[in-house]
Amino acid sequence: MDLSGLKDKLSYVRKVNDNIAIGALTTPEDLAETFLHKDKKYLGFYDIYKKFASPILKPLATIGGNIGVAVSASDYLTFLLTLNAKVKLVSVEGERLVSLEELVVEKRTLAKDPNELIYEIIFPELPENYSTAFMKIDRREVIVTGYITTAVCLKIENNKIADVRIAFDRVNKRIPSRAKKTEEFLKGKEFSVDIIREAYNKVLPAEMVRKSDFRASGEYRLDLSKVLMKRTLLQAKSRIVEGV
Amino acid sequence: MALPTAEYVKIVEELFEKVKKFTYVGKHMQRWDAIEKILGKTRFTADYANLYRNLVYVYSVRAKYAHAKIRKIDVSEAEKVSGVLKVITHKDVPGVNDVGYVIPDQPLLAYSKVRYIGDIVALIVAEDPYIAEEAGEKVYVDYEPLPVIIDPLEIVDPITLEEKKHVLIHDERESDIVARYRIRTGDVKKGFDQASVIVENEYRTQYAEHAYMEPEAALAIPEPDGGITIIASTQCPYEARRAISKVLGMPFNKVRVVVPPLGGGFGGKEDVANEIGAKAALATLLTGRPAIAVHTREESIIGHSKRHPAIMWYKHGASRDGKLVAVEARIILDTGAYASLGPFVAWRATVHSVGPYKVPNAKVDTVAVYTNGIYAGAFRGFGNPQIHFAIEQQMDLLAEELDIDPVEFRLKNILRNGDRTVHGQLLDHGVGLEGALVKAAKIANWYRKRAEYAKQTGTIRKGIGAALLWHGNSIGAEGADYSAVSIIINRDGSVTFRTGLTDFGQGAIQGLIMLAAEILGVPPEYFRVEMPDTASVPDAGPTVASRTTAMGGNATLVAAYKLRKKLNEVAADMLKCSPDDIEIKAPEVYCRSDPARKIRWIDLIEECFWKGISLQEYGYYRAPKARWDDETGHGEPYFTYTFGAIIAEVVVDMETGKTYVERMVTAYDIGRVVNRVGAELHAEGGAIQGLGYALMEEIVHSPEGKVWNPNLYAYYIPTILDIPKEIIPIFVEAGYIRGPFGAKGLGEPSINGIAPAIANAIANAVGVRIKSLPMTPEKVYLELKRKGLIKL
Amino acid sequence: MSTEEYPEIEITLNVNGKDYTVKVKPYERLLDVLRYKLGLSSVKEGCGRGECGTCAVIMDGKLIASCLVLAIQARGKKILTLEGLAPPGKLHAIQKALLDTYAMQCGFCFPGVIMAMKSLLDRNPNPTEDEIREALSGNLCRCGSYLRFIKAAKLAAEYIRKGQVYFEFKG
Repeated sequence: MDLSGLKDKLSYVRKVNDNIAIGALTTPEDLAETFLHKDKKYLGFYDIYKKFASPILKPLATIGGNIGVAVSASDYLTFLLTLNAKVKLVSVEGERLVSLEELVVEKRTLAKDPNELIYEIIFPELPENYSTAFMKIDRREVIVTGYITTAVCLKIENNKIADVRIAFDRVNKRIPSRAKKTEEFLKGKEFSVDIIREAYNKVLPAEMVRKSDFRASGEYRLDLSKVLMKRTLLQAKSRIVEGV
Repeated sequence: MALPTAEYVKIVEELFEKVKKFTYVGKHMQRWDAIEKILGKTRFTADYANLYRNLVYVYSVRAKYAHAKIRKIDVSEAEKVSGVLKVITHKDVPGVNDVGYVIPDQPLLAYSKVRYIGDIVALIVAEDPYIAEEAGEKVYVDYEPLPVIIDPLEIVDPITLEEKKHVLIHDERESDIVARYRIRTGDVKKGFDQASVIVENEYRTQYAEHAYMEPEAALAIPEPDGGITIIASTQCPYEARRAISKVLGMPFNKVRVVVPPLGGGFGGKEDVANEIGAKAALATLLTGRPAIAVHTREESIIGHSKRHPAIMWYKHGASRDGKLVAVEARIILDTGAYASLGPFVAWRATVHSVGPYKVPNAKVDTVAVYTNGIYAGAFRGFGNPQIHFAIEQQMDLLAEELDIDPVEFRLKNILRNGDRTVHGQLLDHGVGLEGALVKAAKIANWYRKRAEYAKQTGTIRKGIGAALLWHGNSIGAEGADYSAVSIIINRDGSVTFRTGLTDFGQGAIQGLIMLAAEILGVPPEYFRVEMPDTASVPDAGPTVASRTTAMGGNATLVAAYKLRKKLNEVAADMLKCSPDDIEIKAPEVYCRSDPARKIRWIDLIEECFWKGISLQEYGYYRAPKARWDDETGHGEPYFTYTFGAIIAEVVVDMETGKTYVERMVTAYDIGRVVNRVGAELHAEGGAIQGLGYALMEEIVHSPEGKVWNPNLYAYYIPTILDIPKEIIPIFVEAGYIRGPFGAKGLGEPSINGIAPAIANAIANAVGVRIKSLPMTPEKVYLELKRKGLIKL
Repeated sequence: MSTEEYPEIEITLNVNGKDYTVKVKPYERLLDVLRYKLGLSSVKEGCGRGECGTCAVIMDGKLIASCLVLAIQARGKKILTLEGLAPPGKLHAIQKALLDTYAMQCGFCFPGVIMAMKSLLDRNPNPTEDEIREALSGNLCRCGSYLRFIKAAKLAAEYIRKGQVYFEFKG
């Protein structure tokens, strides 16, 4: 269905109470104009933008569409999972709010009625001492799906991991998901490369099932997940502590 | 065969000896078509659709299996779709249903079986492209699937190279071996006995795709006399005419092929252009209307020739003092479902199989085999990127074993003037390889960087690697090697330039204009290059094999020389001085001894007209005949060789395995630089294409023979974010007596040495050697992990 | 429903400063309308999937893949193609800079590349090398003129900053 007539109406980023709402038809190009690309807490959005498809698609793709297709390569979906985002669905019968995690059940499958439209995405504003990061790696720099992608949302207090959420393009299903056991392991611990290493070597492999396809092997993808987990966490931490 | 006494040979040799100072040759000049292109006015083939009314659209219905017998093709439902004018199958082909390039093994429209996923079973001709595609769904083919072979090692034994027992892909040929070549020089057993180090490895290279930005297209127009004109995106108009005439069953003179500028070719627009031209022509023949066929990107990737994947086993021996003593190799090339140019590719790979080195003892065996993959044919480099990837890593490994610097080791073994190649060919002059290597090493700061990079720690490391290359010019012993141009000086003094050589972006035609301008004494802007058209331009042979500058250049010299001679004589008459004293610097013509005695160019031309001196000249050049002994691989396979040295600098991220190429120095001996801009762009473009080949590109077939990545999203070619900060082109101008003013070709060689230089740089950076292409992050990382060099 | 049953819809769009009213089928792409209905054949089709950039045009100030926009979605929009970049008989600074750097090879990617440069320079009059690379990263060039594109974009920016937007040319 062509929703472009609604474009102006559903393209926005707003602060509502303690939440941030993004209209479903907001494009990556639109997002780039908002505070989400400047506020160091939300630089994960900027990271996605840099690696998102290619410049000629940034004004055409929408954040609602990215979630709607529900595939591993849905970078916004992966990232929004770390923000505990919810989705507002609207139909003639009314509207309802459902968590992103519950909405996306399988590859290309959403837990919603066909007549329900993705209206907006809502997530709680991040308090101080939080930041985010997103990384994607592939053979070339852009116009890629990514061998894997990783998104994190981190809170550091007195060099402790006060809160952490880590999402990958897949953990054990064919959709972006959170690595919750790994998160649990890290929570409350002193932030260090050693503890991250322990988390990705001991905990992550227990909850992650990586598959092989013609582009890369499961073994490589698992190891790359470890590397990007480390790098996104270091990046988020640097954004919190150093401001860059 | 070009006798040394032939007039055209004398002209080329005389000009090489005589002319050493140039006005246009070797200068940076804007190409003749730059303005129309920059304005977006250039018409590529598909753009011609706007100029014709009443077009019909041709859609190709392709195979559902990569290997199957066809029991029945039912088009009755498709024919009923409103808007469909005709559904064409093999039964409708009036001539010969074959578009095979070297061997008649490739039906235009499949009838008894399909051999790969791109085979075409029917063509839908409809009023609208969307209708044509819809109707395509309604062609029902009853297939009997056969086993699909994707691995060439199911066809041949890797050690004996004998054909294995298997379900034949080409049962009509009774064998799936397409071609075999060999070299036997000296005695390898004795050679290896003298060796103090021996290095033996297997290397593999992948299926690669040209990915020119313009997908294939052809537009056919009915002519009143029953003939057909085809506007086609082809590198080779005369070759396309031959192929299309054969399919239509029409004499050559009723089939006219016109070639607009091409949006890239790289060798890919040879056979597929014959195919798409024939499809459009058939549709026109059978409907009486202009017909257009344009491939989608997916069709382009699935349906046109690829670079041959290769499996290469190499054994090299060297003496303690660093001299090569023996090389033994077995090379298996997978030509996919059809031969295409496979036999020629295999031959070129064999000719170059020991690299640009002095090798006293060699034993090489090459075999090209069919599989059910996409057919493989011509692609820039033509077999050479594959073998150089192996040879140049072997050279580094030998240097490492001997503890000699890789550049020094190469300097001990390279071909120089006076040396003989492995085929016994004497290279008495024009070998600029040493100069290329020494200059490249100097500009790249080779020795300092090798020393510096040896001390690195951490997980991000730099490396520097070198590779040498050679490349026989033109088509050699593959076939009749001639070229032709015609130059017409019009009565207003403007110049018309015609040749059957085409431009697919490389700009080589600009070089021809510069050569003609140089000899005639008129500026390049006096020239108009006519579009290649079999109705007017001379047959110049195919635009392949880096032959435009060398071969077309010689033909240009001959035509321009003959014109200049006439002009000098008429001018001498007008100015009352000797013809040798005439200087032409259009718009003026004067006596060199007395520049005050002058006439205008336009008056000279007018005088020729009244005197009955024709200013329309045809230039023809035929290369010296190549010699090749099939039993020994001895002879003179090519009349000359381009040489080069590549130095690549990389940064490798050991945790991800990803390689970034930071800088490349490319030094080529191309005899004399004619079109300097074109030469630099070749050096840069070849390096970037080579980088893609080295690190990211690969067409992947499923076990069923389907293609996993028929798009530009998963067939990765470099973007502007993936290329080096700097590519430094250097030219060594050693000079070859039978090239135009000494020039040799560069189109193809510019990709040969890139992948091995990057491989050697990766090895230098992180200590692992990747022996298969592409050298993906995964391969580098897993090799580091396997060797315990990285631990997460 | 087969393709011919779809009704045609009349739309108006502004291309290169001029309004055009055309009838389109609902599945027709902006690319097809520009190329075949308006005859603006500088807009190329290289992949039809937004992966190559040869069909890039500027729509309401943004660089987009015209193969992924339906013609009806472009209703009422302002579109710029290479044909409308400079007044007749003139070269735009970007075109001039690409000639100055001898960037031309096959030229099939050029219309898209030029539009991408225009889109960049409209936003950023003095881009860094990294910014240029990012802005052109959706335009594939197989001949490999990339390094020249970087030089040309810098040079064009310089021309424009000096107020030299259009140039006379011969030929």
